[in-house]
Amino acid sequence: MGKEVGIMDNHVELDNVSKFYDAERKLHALHEVSFGIGHGEFVSIVGPSGCGKSTLLKIIAGLDKPSSGEVRFNGGPVQGPHDKISMVFQAFGLFPWRNVLENVEYGLEMQKVPKKERREVSEQYLEMVGLGGYEHMYPKQLSGGMRQRVGIARALAVEPEVVLMDEAFSAIDEVTAEVLREEVTDIHKQTGKTFVLVTHNLSEAIELADKVVVLSSRPARVKKVMPVSLERPRDRTHSMFVHMHKDILHLLKEELENTLIRHKLKGIKELQSIHDIEAQGSTAKPKQPLLTT
Amino acid sequence: MSVEKQKALALSLTGSVFAGNRFSNYLWVAPLALGFTVWELITRFGVVPRNSLPTFSSVLVVFFSSIQSETFLLRIAHSFLNLVFGLLLGFAIALPLAFAAGSKHRFDLTFTPLIMLFGALPDLSFLPLLVLWFGPGNVAAVIMASVAGFFPIYFTVREGTRNIPRELFDVTTIFKSGRLSTFTKMVLPAISPHMFSGLRLAYDFAWEIIIAIEIATRMAGIGNFIDGNITSGSLQSGFAAILAIALVAIVVDRAFFGSLESWAKKWA
Repeated sequence: MGKEVGIMDNHVELDNVSKFYDAERKLHALHEVSFGIGHGEFVSIVGPSGCGKSTLLKIIAGLDKPSSGEVRFNGGPVQGPHDKISMVFQAFGLFPWRNVLENVEYGLEMQKVPKKERREVSEQYLEMVGLGGYEHMYPKQLSGGMRQRVGIARALAVEPEVVLMDEAFSAIDEVTAEVLREEVTDIHKQTGKTFVLVTHNLSEAIELADKVVVLSSRPARVKKVMPVSLERPRDRTHSMFVHMHKDILHLLKEELENTLIRHKLKGIKELQSIHDIEAQGSTAKPKQPLLTT
Repeated sequence: MSVEKQKALALSLTGSVFAGNRFSNYLWVAPLALGFTVWELITRFGVVPRNSLPTFSSVLVVFFSSIQSETFLLRIAHSFLNLVFGLLLGFAIALPLAFAAGSKHRFDLTFTPLIMLFGALPDLSFLPLLVLWFGPGNVAAVIMASVAGFFPIYFTVREGTRNIPRELFDVTTIFKSGRLSTFTKMVLPAISPHMFSGLRLAYDFAWEIIIAIEIATRMAGIGNFIDGNITSGSLQSGFAAILAIALVAIVVDRAFFGSLESWAKKWA
């Protein structure tokens, strides 16, 4: 895991990933998306809302399949969920009937790790996210920020190489989210794991990432890949930070205008049906909600 | 033992039954005691003739002698077992159908309207047919109880399945849970609060159906016992049997469903 990362030894590689939601190839979500994610790199993915960034993350996770192209992890194609790729969810994805410790243990339990060992490992990660002593609380007793800490501990407990974060800070109040972002920065530094964050929060994207991937509006293409060379911890008032924020905002506004023009040209019907699909979630039922009812 | 002593014993015993540790809140005792007192007074002072309503104390006396009788207890056990088997059968049929309806939209559209149609029919209207096929016996009773239990279980479990957040399915997939463990460790606990309310309703419905069948078909059981005693004028015995059923219903409700629900309350 050297610091010098060449283009050839990407940890995760997206190679011309395209996604259509329907067999007729009309509902086009992703168009030939290609970029690499280096070992230990923190990559943020931003894009206009509804552009398919979450779909992209789900494809990386193996929760969804690309219609063409492929995602490679350690050089091999991703064909489904992988032991070494873990995920943090927007609404935390905790099981309310399990206490904090049992939630963190879940991944290890699925990997059939013996009870004693998974308990020890989970305790260790709970300690890492600052939840030592909360083992026996239930999710409903915790604040949003604490719940997401449980989500992060669960994702880390399976000792993944890649941690995917799907809008992981969006459902948390801003101050708590900021504290959590700082902690995630520390965890990234400590563990050297590869992180991929999908977010609509541009400051968050810049603050955390080594590299920000800006996607276009639907069908999403890579509009720009922007390395972030600022020192950590990052100062949001630093001129480079401010400029970068402005640049990305400009790119996204441009995309938004393109979308509006397209709306007028093509009518909103297609986009509407895509929104319906996204609202229902595309992964759990990939076949059933294809077209509007 | 004198009648007076029996009465005193009866009263103290009911006291201890109801003072079970599951009742942390005793406020409900007041209206209940008031109800029994009013009952006792209006019968004792002839407001209501005793051949229409026996006194509460005389019912209690008969109740305590009845529950020492083996045949009486066997009748209750008989009805209760029919109910339990009926519920288990109804549950076993409703559960997979409800999962399918809750998770597969097409299945739901195909079958739920049909199930609603059957549900709209009064359950007892199937009874003559069942008696024709199976005779007035346990088979008919068990099937009727399962029919009565089916609908509340079906609709609550279907609703519960629909309400499982999609994200939780992603969680099970990400952590590579197998089909069986997704079911036992995610779906089942996720729907359990819904399932428990369904079961509780099913239990209430099934009791009603069981008693109704026993009265209607004169098949053996506590319902038939109540009917026989009340029509022949032994009102005390009839009321004692009703009291016994009420006790069984309450104890099962508290002990079984109560503990299931308190588990769910911990986290839901």
